[in-house]
Formats: sequence, structure tokens, C-alpha cells
Amino acid sequence: MKETALAKLTWPRVRASRRLATRRAKLNVSSLLIYAAGFIIVFIVLSALFPGQIAPYSPTEMVMTDIMLPPSLTHLFGTDYYGRDVFSVVVYGSRDSLLIGLASVLAGGLLGASIGALSGFLGGIFDTIIMGFIEVLMTIPGILFALAIAAAMGPSLFNVVLAVALSSVPGYARVFRGQIISVKGRSFITAARSVGAGNLRIFFRHVLPNAWSPLLVMATIGLGTSILVGSGLSFLGLGVIKEIPDWGTLLSQGRGYLTVAWWMSTFPGLAITLLVLSVNLLGDKLRDHIDPKKSRV
Amino acid sequence: MLRKKSGWKSILALTVVFALVLSGCASTEKSGNSNNAAEPSPSADAAVTAAPLTGGELSYALATSPDTLDPHRSGLAVAVRAIRTIHDNLVAQLPDGTIAPWLATEWEISEDGKSYTFKLRQDVKFHDGTPFNAEAVKFNYDRILNPETKAANSAALIRPYKSSEVIDEYTVKLNLETPSNAFLGNLSQALVSIVSPTAAQKYGDQLGKNPVGTGPFKFVSWEENSQITVERNADYNWAPPLVENQKAPYLDKVIFKIAPEEATRIGSVQSGQVLAGETIPPQNILALEKDEKLQLFKANTQGLPYTLFINQNKAPWNELKARQALQAAIDVDAIVKTLYLGTYDRAWSPLTPGTFGYDKSLEGGVKPDLDKANALLEELGYVKGADGIRVKDGKKLTLHYVDGSPNREKRNDIAAIIQQQLKQIGVAVEVEITKDVRSIVFESANYDIYGNSQVNSDPEALRSFYHSGAASVGGKQNLPAYKNAEVDSWIDQGLVEKDTAKRQELYANVQKAIIEQAVIIPIYVFPYTIAASKTVQGIKFDSLAYPLFNDTFIQK
Repeated sequence: MKETALAKLTWPRVRASRRLATRRAKLNVSSLLIYAAGFIIVFIVLSALFPGQIAPYSPTEMVMTDIMLPPSLTHLFGTDYYGRDVFSVVVYGSRDSLLIGLASVLAGGLLGASIGALSGFLGGIFDTIIMGFIEVLMTIPGILFALAIAAAMGPSLFNVVLAVALSSVPGYARVFRGQIISVKGRSFITAARSVGAGNLRIFFRHVLPNAWSPLLVMATIGLGTSILVGSGLSFLGLGVIKEIPDWGTLLSQGRGYLTVAWWMSTFPGLAITLLVLSVNLLGDKLRDHIDPKKSRV
Repeated sequence: MLRKKSGWKSILALTVVFALVLSGCASTEKSGNSNNAAEPSPSADAAVTAAPLTGGELSYALATSPDTLDPHRSGLAVAVRAIRTIHDNLVAQLPDGTIAPWLATEWEISEDGKSYTFKLRQDVKFHDGTPFNAEAVKFNYDRILNPETKAANSAALIRPYKSSEVIDEYTVKLNLETPSNAFLGNLSQALVSIVSPTAAQKYGDQLGKNPVGTGPFKFVSWEENSQITVERNADYNWAPPLVENQKAPYLDKVIFKIAPEEATRIGSVQSGQVLAGETIPPQNILALEKDEKLQLFKANTQGLPYTLFINQNKAPWNELKARQALQAAIDVDAIVKTLYLGTYDRAWSPLTPGTFGYDKSLEGGVKPDLDKANALLEELGYVKGADGIRVKDGKKLTLHYVDGSPNREKRNDIAAIIQQQLKQIGVAVEVEITKDVRSIVFESANYDIYGNSQVNSDPEALRSFYHSGAASVGGKQNLPAYKNAEVDSWIDQGLVEKDTAKRQELYANVQKAIIEQAVIIPIYVFPYTIAASKTVQGIKFDSLAYPLFNDTFIQK
């Protein structure tokens, strides 16, 4: 994979000087989007890391005399029915939303990849059984699977992460297994084997380094999905119950007030939308960068 | 290919979030087109007058689906809305608590208070033609006692009923195990209303799907999770004094539509898809009051208000001072005003204002006082730690607050506010919202605070919550784990005391003791609310705030 990345850097300059101008114009629009996405992600990550520096009010302070005020300069996103500043709550709420997304992608990705790698590399009856099982799991929609797990285990941060992670495992496992199998069949693996390299050495030195990049792309895009599923669980009341609610909970709290105080759920909803959209855009960009097929066109 | 797919993914993600955000809007945006799907227009010349018009269908959106329409087997308030239209009772309770005749014209109570002799109306027939008589009454109450009926709430309501004797065709004597002042009031409740013996025998446990009573409306059909239809009983001539129209109702039909989603329910009232809808959230009540096409019917429920019970089996809440600190730190006024926007009344006592024996002198008695609350906790030896939470002997002062899911009447939000209020006096509140209240609260008693309410017609309802003999939790304790011999004896005397003034005093004592000893924090009195088109006239309520449609008509 290293050679393709290198090819991508040098190849256009040599061959397509005529197309370069139009290419740059196109890049500007899409790179603008990428910058915007990057900015949003940086801002949300900063919010999650240093909410106290960004939020103007405490997220738990309930001012009973200031309930349901519309957005204004003093309350950028308005106030909710407790009299909390919606902007501050959204800023503080980013922490759980991001945490659920990241932790579940990490857990789901690692578990899925391990299963996929084992299954793909070992092959045989083991592969058949595992993949049969994974395929059955794939027939259940991810959110439904997460819903069932969360409902069975009760609401807590750990359980939500677990639910979202487990629901994404089959996807990762399948993709990684396919990748491992395709790399395993390539001639340099046969070459390595013929000079007497052992299974472990082949796996860690040759197969793994050449197979992981699609997984990275998938995990980036999966981050968006995971945040969305996590928020969905909270929205349905199966999420984290804490003093500072996450975005999905905020969305559902404001839902009953849409006709009288639209800002209560619109802004948390917008936050989810922007974050997921930005993560997906960056994921796409990353894919363009890594995908060998793309760079060879 | 791959690239395209992920683009779709982001669009999908976007759509899902927007769908979540906008899901509530959809129904209300329709309010422009007011197509009245419901009523055929009554005769044109009578249109201007406010005199009742015959005919028309009332579509009425219910908040949840009834469990069964068999009054003896139901336990859901929402089922009672429909059950009430189909069934009548022997007696009716008026809003002031007095008992009035209904299917029984008069009654006599024996000297020892253990037998009630009822004279029955002679002109009453069930919808299936079965005559209503003493046999039918006996059949009904025996049916509730019979374990095979699997009676739910009705079995508790009819206690201490023992047996019936048919004296003659229209005279029946009911015998009780012990005297009970609550008995007549309970007999007025819809859950012990009279069903047709013929139908009960014919349908057995399927009576709930084919209910037959003597009520103003006859059952027509029940489409699961969609709607229940009842039609006018033209022979009806025996309405209770709760309504003006003693004869057959004006409406041709009442169609109960089941609309669990709040926004949908209110939206369909606003758009005219249904003529009326129940259980309107406070924020919408305010908006509806400004709507010229709509009106609001409201009646406070009776019995026990929504009350937070403090579990005295958990330390330190066994200490009076600790409970008093909670009482002083929780600002109930602020909670009720903030969450219910002035549409719910604040509760002051273990009873609601409309209930017999309510002690008005408790109103305004408990005032929020953070200094007092802090001082009380200091006296108990709890010192504030670095994080603001009080500590004693290395143990943090925490309070385990259990509440049910889904968030009914914004009760979860009460927990969230109390969490903030108690933080100010250094109590860390751990809120647990659970779908499994039964096992956490009622089986394992694992709570410091749990909130509940009960609709009831008599202060005898206090027994199951405050009498030490009541063991609703884990078979061992009542909800607040409250044991007080004096309160026990007042409740026991209240059940049999014949002198009304004395009985009133007994219950006043009970209420005072409970508030003085900070056994509970009463929060709000739940009003049953209906939003209806202005064309709907004359929806009345029984004493428990269940709607009555005898007087209802649709104006053109």
C-alpha cells in the first residue's frame, strides 16, 4: 500500500498537465467543504475537551424565571424548559456524544477486525461457522440490534457503547475478512511462504500491514453512524441518564415542545447533523487518499 | 461506486437526524386545512341556538390503548374512559363527595354497618335485552370476588364485600365482612360497574372485547390499536345526577381513536381530524388557549396527588431531621410552575383538594428554606466536602431517586430539577429511570425516593400507603416504610366512624402527622384535560374526572 500512496503523489504531475486546471477548480469546492468539516470537528472536539472555556453558562444551572426564552444574544440557542442555556448544554453534551461514537467504533472495530482476521486467515470450517454467524447477525438492522442490547442491559454509558459497538461488529468483520483473503492470495504472500516464513510472521508482517487501510476508512465513516445510533438510543430513552444530557436526550426532551419552543431540539439536532456530516466528509476524503482503485484511474 | 455509496450514507444520516427533529412538526403543520371528517350536519334551522342537537359523531383521541373493556378486569385509567360510556353503577358520587342514586333508587345501611340493602330501578335493560335486577347485581359482585374472573382493581375496590342476598326481584342486600365508609363511594367507580350476566356467561374472559352494560352507549367495535366505537343507546332513561340529560345521549356515536404520540394527538385536534383529544401537555395547553377554534376541558383528579415517598428503611432517611431537610430544600412551587407552566395545581397534603377530609390548613405550610435544610444536616453530622457533597464517617450523602419510564407527566423532569435543588444543600441525587419499577421498587425496595399517585374516591386510599399494616413493597413495608400507631388508629377509625365531622377530623390528623413528620413531599394534582373543537358542547366529568358524554352534542 505504501507504493500506491507514493504513486498518488507523483503521478498526476507527470501525466495530465492539461487536466490540471479543471482539477484544481473542482478541488477548491470540495476542499472548502473539507475545511468546513474539519473546522466543525475541531470545534466540537474542543467543546468536548474544554466545555468550561466555551460554554457561557453552567449546563446544570436552572433559572426558573428564564424558561423557554427564544435565541438571543444572551442565550445564543435560547433556553429550555428548565431554564438552562441550550448552547451551554449542547457544548457540554458533546462529550458523551463523541465518547459514545469514538469508544464504540474503537471497540466494535477492534472486535470486528479480530474476528474477520482470524476467520479470513485461518479459513476452512472455522471461517464457515464464524461467517455464517456474522451473516445471520447482518440480517438484523444495526439500530435494532443496538436497541435490543440496550433494552436488555439497561441504560448506562458502558452499555450504550457496548450496544453500538456490538451492532457494528458484523460489518467490520466481513470487510476485514474479505480484505485479508484478498491479500492472502497475492503472490508476495506465496513468495514469503516459499522462503519459509511462518504463519504468524506472514500474518503480522505481510498480511496485516497490507489489509488495514479499508478498515480505517470504514471506521471513520462508521464513527458517524455510531454517533447517530448512540444518539438514537438516547432519543428513545435507552441512553445515558446523567446530569448533563447528551444530544440524543436533548433532542427527545425538546420534541414535545417543537410547536412552542423549536430551539430546544433543533440545535442539538443540528449539532448531531453537522458532526455526522463532517465526519462522513472527512471519511470520504480519507478513502480517496487511501483507495488504490481511485488513485489508478 | 464506493464513493457514491458513502455520499448516500451522509445524506441518509442527514435525513435521519432531520426526521428526528421534525417528527413532531409534521402533524401540526397541517392545521391550515380543517376538514371535519366527523359529523354529518344536523337540521339546519336549529343551528343557531345553543340547545342540544341530536346526532353527530364525536371522535375522541385517547392517549393509550385500553387493556380491556371488561370493567372488572381492567386496571387502566384510559380503559375507564370507554368503559364509562357502556356501563352504569348502582350509585353515583357527586363532586362534593355525596352519594346519589343511579341504578339503585334508595338504600339502607344496617345498624352495624355490615349490610347494605338496595332498591333497584325497575325499567333498566342491558344492551343485549337482559333485564337488570337483583340477580344481575348479585352476579356482578360475586363475579368480581370469583378468582376465575381474574379481577384487577375492582377486587380491591369492592373490599370488604362478602356476599349478596336477593330479597325480591328489585331488592338486593349486600353483606360486608367489616363496616366500611368507603364502600358506597367505591361502588360508584366505573371499575365495579354492572355488566350483563348473559354476556358475561356467554363470552367468559372475552367479555372485554364484547362488553355489554346498561350505559348510555352500546359497544359497536374495537379495532386493536386503532379505534373503539360506541353508539347511542336509544332506550337509555336512567342517567346519574352528574349530568343534565336523563335520557338517551344526543350523539349518535363516540369514536375513541388511539393516538399515543402526543404531537399527533394534539395535531389532529388542531387540524380538525378529530373533534377532541385527551391528556394535553402543559406547553400545548397554553398554545390551545390562544386558538380560537379550540377549547379546553379540565378536571382535577381525586385521591392521592403525585407524591414523593421517602423510604424510611434507608439511612439516613429514617431520621426526621434528614427528611425535614429534604422538605425544606425541595422548592415544589418552582418545580410545578416551571414544568407545568401554571396548568397544574401544587399539592400540599397526602390527599387532593377534592377528596373527602382534605385538610386545607396545610396549604402554605411548608416553605423552601435552604438555611434550615443545611442546618438540619449539620446537626446530623454531615459536613460539606471539597466537591460540595456532604460526608459523614467517610460516606457521602447520596439519595437514590427512582422513577419510571416513559416520562409520564414530566415526572422524570421533576427528578432532574430535584437533583439540582438538593445539590445546593450537599445531597448527591442519583436518578435512576427504569422501565422495571415493579422489581426495583415493589419487589426489592431499592429506592430512597419514589413517586406515585392514585385516583380514588375516598380517603381510605391512605391506608395502602401509610398504614403500617399495608405491605405493598416487598411484602414488608408501605412505600414510605412508615410506622405510626396513631396514624394507624386514625385510619382504622376513619373507615368506620359514622359522624361526618369526626371522620373529617380523623383524616385531618392523619394528613397533619404525615406532613409534620416529613414522610412525603406532595408535588402536584393531576388535571385530566381535553382539547376540543369549539363545536363540541357539554362534556361533563364524574367525581374522579372521567369524562361523561350524556350531555355532549355537536354544534353546527
